[in-house]
Amino acid sequence: MSEPNPNLTYVGKPARNVDGIDKAMGRARYVADMRVPGMLHAAALYSTQPHARIVALDVGPALAMPGVAAAVTAGDFVDQGRWGWPIKDTHMLAFERVRCVGDAIAAVAAETREQARQAVRAIKLELEALPGVFDPAEALEPGAPPIPEKPSEHGAHAGKWNLAETLIVRNGDPDLILDECDIVLDETYTFGHQEHAYLETEAALAIPHADGSLTVYNNCQSPFIARGHLVTVLGLPEDKIQVIQAAVGGGFGGKDDAVYKISGQAAALALKTGRPVLLTLTREESIVTSYKRQASAIRLRIGMDADGRLRAARANLLVDSGAYASVTPLVGWRASMHAAGAYRYEAVHVDTDVVYTNNGYSGAFRGFGNIQAGAAIEQAIDELAERAGIDPIDFRLKNALRPGDRAMTGNVIAHEIGLSACLEWVRAASDWDRKRAEYLPSPPSPLSHKGRGGIRRGIGAACYFHGSSLGAEGADYAGCTVTIENDYGVTLTAGLTDIGQGSRTVYTLIAAEALGVRPARIKVLRPDTETMIESGPTSASRATLVGGNAMRAAGLKLDRLLRWAAADLFHCAPAQVIRDGEHYVGPAEEPARFEAVVDHARALGLTLSASAKWGVPGFKWDFETGAGQPYFCYVFGAQVAEVEVNIDTGETRVLGVWAAHDGGTIIFPQGAAGQMFGGIAQGIGYALMEDIRFDRGYLHDVNFDNYLIPTAADLPDIQGHYVETNFPHGPHGAKNLAEPVMIGAAPAIANALYQATGRRYRHIPVTLERVRLGYDLTRPGSERTCRAALGFGE
Amino acid sequence: MKIEFTLNGAPVTVEAPARTTLLALLRDYLNLTGAKEGCGVGECGACSVLLDGQLVNSCLALAPEAHGGEVITIEGIHAPDGGPNDLQIALVDYGAVQCGYCTPGMVMAAEALLMRNLNPTRAEIRAALAGNLCRCTGYVQIIDAIEAVARERRTHHGEHGEHGEHGER
Repeated sequence: MSEPNPNLTYVGKPARNVDGIDKAMGRARYVADMRVPGMLHAAALYSTQPHARIVALDVGPALAMPGVAAAVTAGDFVDQGRWGWPIKDTHMLAFERVRCVGDAIAAVAAETREQARQAVRAIKLELEALPGVFDPAEALEPGAPPIPEKPSEHGAHAGKWNLAETLIVRNGDPDLILDECDIVLDETYTFGHQEHAYLETEAALAIPHADGSLTVYNNCQSPFIARGHLVTVLGLPEDKIQVIQAAVGGGFGGKDDAVYKISGQAAALALKTGRPVLLTLTREESIVTSYKRQASAIRLRIGMDADGRLRAARANLLVDSGAYASVTPLVGWRASMHAAGAYRYEAVHVDTDVVYTNNGYSGAFRGFGNIQAGAAIEQAIDELAERAGIDPIDFRLKNALRPGDRAMTGNVIAHEIGLSACLEWVRAASDWDRKRAEYLPSPPSPLSHKGRGGIRRGIGAACYFHGSSLGAEGADYAGCTVTIENDYGVTLTAGLTDIGQGSRTVYTLIAAEALGVRPARIKVLRPDTETMIESGPTSASRATLVGGNAMRAAGLKLDRLLRWAAADLFHCAPAQVIRDGEHYVGPAEEPARFEAVVDHARALGLTLSASAKWGVPGFKWDFETGAGQPYFCYVFGAQVAEVEVNIDTGETRVLGVWAAHDGGTIIFPQGAAGQMFGGIAQGIGYALMEDIRFDRGYLHDVNFDNYLIPTAADLPDIQGHYVETNFPHGPHGAKNLAEPVMIGAAPAIANALYQATGRRYRHIPVTLERVRLGYDLTRPGSERTCRAALGFGE
Repeated sequence: MKIEFTLNGAPVTVEAPARTTLLALLRDYLNLTGAKEGCGVGECGACSVLLDGQLVNSCLALAPEAHGGEVITIEGIHAPDGGPNDLQIALVDYGAVQCGYCTPGMVMAAEALLMRNLNPTRAEIRAALAGNLCRCTGYVQIIDAIEAVARERRTHHGEHGEHGEHGER
């Protein structure tokens, strides 16, 4: 990693995660660890059919079961519990129809979790099966079974009931150029669904108060978003609903939707019973009912000169949103903004359709569409490099974006671009040139049961760019507060939250730097909608960039007050006050302790509390014309993966990953390294083994015994590096990294597999069976599996 | 039924149905919530505890299996003064703690490894952690921390006697 900045005391220096010790000692409190007097336990009834009409639903028998206090259905919410953003197409509990396996239908609260589960089984439910649609292309055909209650705006416009959203990029005219190109690649890359697999399942604890107000503890990403949805479905005003985020056991985008539904169910039960209600999901319930990374198909047509200069690209994306839109329209947008990759083109068009099916549902997941877009383009770039007869890294360097270039969306990138430096670093660190030469050439591996291919190695590269923060998805701001307490401790609130990624530590370091106090003096309060500043969603890897700027601004406001108080104490001008550690020093070199300056500031009547909001500078993307500027800045990176394949078994081992990322300044080095290693681990799982397959809407993998994620024994050591380019708009020059560091792994592995096996798979994940046989073995999902997973086992 | 065992060094007696899992006994009857439920089928290791010195998934063990035995949970792992032990500090210092949900189980798995092997290779550490899933870290820093603690404990072995073991056992 890069050298720390000598002008900074805390930022960029080794630091401890502020919650680390509590977590390592088992003291951190997650929602499921909470115990409140009089607390009831809830469980829900879920659909075991992918598409059906609710003919009869009677919770009466459940209410007669031992220990049961209440049950709720759609009718217990305002407007049948209709909610959803950006498309209001879902319900807190199913109304009239279920649209996927795992749709919640009713929820019960009882004295014990076991009693609640028993009661759920007693609910009388009659479903009448409706035809389902499980192929996104078929979902757009005339006569396809309609999935949403009504078509979205785009769907209505196109006359396609199941079309949730259409997104475009219109930069020049690629067709004219493609006709002139010496070489045109035309390939389609496909992707399966990926499960977030956060180790902590979704949970909410709703506590009603005597005045009709409600406190909800949950493990969501965005407490204000949670409150907004609860206001919508409960009919209570904002000031009657408090949402407090407990410690969150991993999110990765996955705790920004389903958790709100669970919170609503627990809240309705709490209001109905007047007692606290805890609702936690089993792992099977979590996997079956929660949203996934979108299965997608990406067709790329890319043209270049004979000498390997990229000229034009056309991308068509078909994105499976499943039964509900969730944020998949925005995922489709981000995928569209990156579909042709981090390269210079004369013209690019992208056309993306986001489609409803009965395949569970999909939503936000680390990378937010650029995992699929990045993996498609980077496999395609490898194919183009081969056709041009150029080394894959040389080919990328030749075409990579440089400062002042236009991105594929037509906008000029004015800030520094560390992409080439990242590519050069991974090339050197991985010993690319030697290995690349040594492992060539590979004739295609045999695809038969009898083939004897032995052990082969390959090395592959990928690079990426990733628009920072929300971009044109929505209002992009955050607020923070900094307060000096009576014991001279400093407390912080931040509207963007820590879901495990370390932002509470980032905020601590930024506030420490701004105030010139030791991090040990600082405490970050739990996110609470009653004490923190509304800041929109914790998403888009923006907690450091946007939240960090707000925290720095709030800290600097307070620092200015204290410097002024110190100057008053020293009878000098504020500019004459310097800092020596936490001490303030005046022109006569008399040091005053931080506490003395705080006391003096209080004596002067100063308010030792400051807040600040920071919003992303203006830019505009026009969704109608598909042109403009989608993001205010970008991060870049490159990764190399080396694999060893047993051709006879299909087993692929990743021997090493080398990763370089340009995310601007690194604030919390151990945290940044952990994000990179963790992102790559998720990328390796995505590349090789993780695949939630919906078989006529039914899942096969409902727990970690079938849905395999990488263990310590599956993964290699990973070498990471940060190219810290200068970025004047970030806190101390920081941009972001949490999501984009995942992008490179899957395509680098796919490209390495090509060198090892001589085969282009063009599908992620490249499972063992795909390597060995050339296709995936069927793992039939079934109603039986899903019934057992949802509490209806024999 | 009545279940009696030694829990983090102290005798306990709990009345619970025979089919209660050890994890439920710890969390719901004894209010020790450090062990987590991640999957309920013994795949993720978030519920790891030591039962008679062996690393077990407490979601799979039935509470009566602990009868007459010795159970050590994450609450029993600490320095003599009640603060974090060397492993817990190292995990934080190396950046090995993110969401923290797997961390108590990782600590138990690492202590179980270091009890029998104070000089593990990285491959041995990886193998010892293979039953404990972490979705955040990619394991690199967890392995770094365990490697460093093993090194440190080897250096101090004999000097401090029980140093770095299970604190107040």
